[in-house]
Amino acid sequence: MDALLAGLKGAVDTLGATVLLPIVIFIIALVLGAKAGRAFRAAVTIGVAFIAINLVLGLMLNSISDVAQAIVRNTGIQRDIVDVGWPSAAAIAFGSSVGLWVIPVGIAVNILLLVTRLTRTLNVDVWNFWHFAFIGSLTVAATNNLAYGIIAAALMAALALLFADWSAKAVQKFYGVPGVSVPHLASAQILPIAIVLNWIIDRIPGINKIDISTETIQKRFGVLGEPVILGLVIGLVLGAIAYYNLGDFGTALSKILQTGMTLAAVMLLLPRMVKILMEGLLPVSEAAQEFVRKRAGDRELTVGLDSAILIGHPAAISSSLILVPIAIILSIILPGNRVILFADLAVIPFIVAMTAPLLNGNVFRMVIVGTVTLILGFYVANALAPLFTSAAVASGFAMPENAVQITSVVDGFLWISYVVVKAVESLGIAGLALLLVIIGAAFWAFRRNTAAWERAAGAEDEAEAVRAN
Amino acid sequence: MAREKIILVACGTGIATSTVVATAIEEEMKNRGIPVSIRQCKATEVPGMVDDVDLVVSTTPVPQGLSKPVITTLAFLTGMGKADVLDRIEGYLRD
Repeated sequence: MDALLAGLKGAVDTLGATVLLPIVIFIIALVLGAKAGRAFRAAVTIGVAFIAINLVLGLMLNSISDVAQAIVRNTGIQRDIVDVGWPSAAAIAFGSSVGLWVIPVGIAVNILLLVTRLTRTLNVDVWNFWHFAFIGSLTVAATNNLAYGIIAAALMAALALLFADWSAKAVQKFYGVPGVSVPHLASAQILPIAIVLNWIIDRIPGINKIDISTETIQKRFGVLGEPVILGLVIGLVLGAIAYYNLGDFGTALSKILQTGMTLAAVMLLLPRMVKILMEGLLPVSEAAQEFVRKRAGDRELTVGLDSAILIGHPAAISSSLILVPIAIILSIILPGNRVILFADLAVIPFIVAMTAPLLNGNVFRMVIVGTVTLILGFYVANALAPLFTSAAVASGFAMPENAVQITSVVDGFLWISYVVVKAVESLGIAGLALLLVIIGAAFWAFRRNTAAWERAAGAEDEAEAVRAN
Repeated sequence: MAREKIILVACGTGIATSTVVATAIEEEMKNRGIPVSIRQCKATEVPGMVDDVDLVVSTTPVPQGLSKPVITTLAFLTGMGKADVLDRIEGYLRD
């Protein structure tokens, strides 16, 4: 088995994601029952997406690496871990050796937990299986063992379903999405942090009364919600810090303006490139939905969707708009931090959206919880950056010569990634067993006391709900 | 033949769920013989882009008071009620 896996890993390394992933996707799509023509077109599209993402990533890293070096020269502040954004992380994840396995593994885990009645969520969000593959690929980068990576990915698929079931009631009520749950680790990781902090805030006199409304914030900070403008502004500011002393005024100005435009371009282009990947995966994900639905039996299930459906809510948007400048300030003042935030400033809503039901959409509390989560995230990102970078190289992404490292807020800032990778790195197979026991225990505890868990996540008490009506 | 109508499809990222919706609408409207062009964006970008389009379809709440009709739906993701929503979209486009 090990020899087989080692051989497969060798094939992955030689062929690269642009060749191998299309082949694998074609086969998976056929097995799941997609039509051959459609599967073939989808597979080729996915290969194209990898080439496209690599191009834009190169554009971004070339520009930002120069800027980062100039900033070190000018200010002595070392910020050499570049936030390349979730689009890059998703591509790295699907392009990794674990990524080739993650779709069948994720489906198998879902079916297993559905038929054993451990979950109610039918996870049709195949696209977001990349999160499982991502943590798996970090595990492989840490241990050089593909089997560990696949097991880690399978455990994450199960954990995502647990979080989805746990938060389902709260999410359905607050966001008005009946029958839906959100198996999305990057959004769910904040729940335990939010529960603790909310408990503390409730007990601080004065602070526990603060509630901020959402409309004013959206009007004042609205421009921060537009990635192109955000990219331009950050590019101009970074460019100014890096190049203000570059020869005469004209040279400096043109360099600064060029940096601004380049980063604005990256902000627009990077997600568009990932859209190609998404389009390629669509036939697979449709076939997978059908495949799982048929095997899930006829009991009533909640449908697991991307947390992108929650992001438009005013509470999520408003708190994220405030968190953008906070995140930038944190990146400057946090001692020991080397992360320079960029591409994922656009997806901070994903980090906080899940807290809204629990915190009653109170923007003040969401910002506090988001800030604490981000601080934690910065240190996770600093610690995981070397693995993140080598995972990217292993997936065939070109890193610039001046040796920056990379990360992203989604999922490089995830404490769950850190816990999993460190457990497996230090304990090997025992670490995986330990994680299995912990996740299994959590499933058991949730089933024993579902109502209390759901309340903790922000679902209303049945009795209270009746009284309110 | 009528002018090609423009539909703005929005979600949290402008990438993930909106691509599912955009692809579904494009295919079905082609089947029904209605020429459409689709643009995708993040929910926060809708106010800036709404003036150039005829209809907004979103999987997540979008700001209130837009100048164009808005359909907020999960039907394309869950598969439930998809035909109804497509009929509504067709209705708006035939006007």
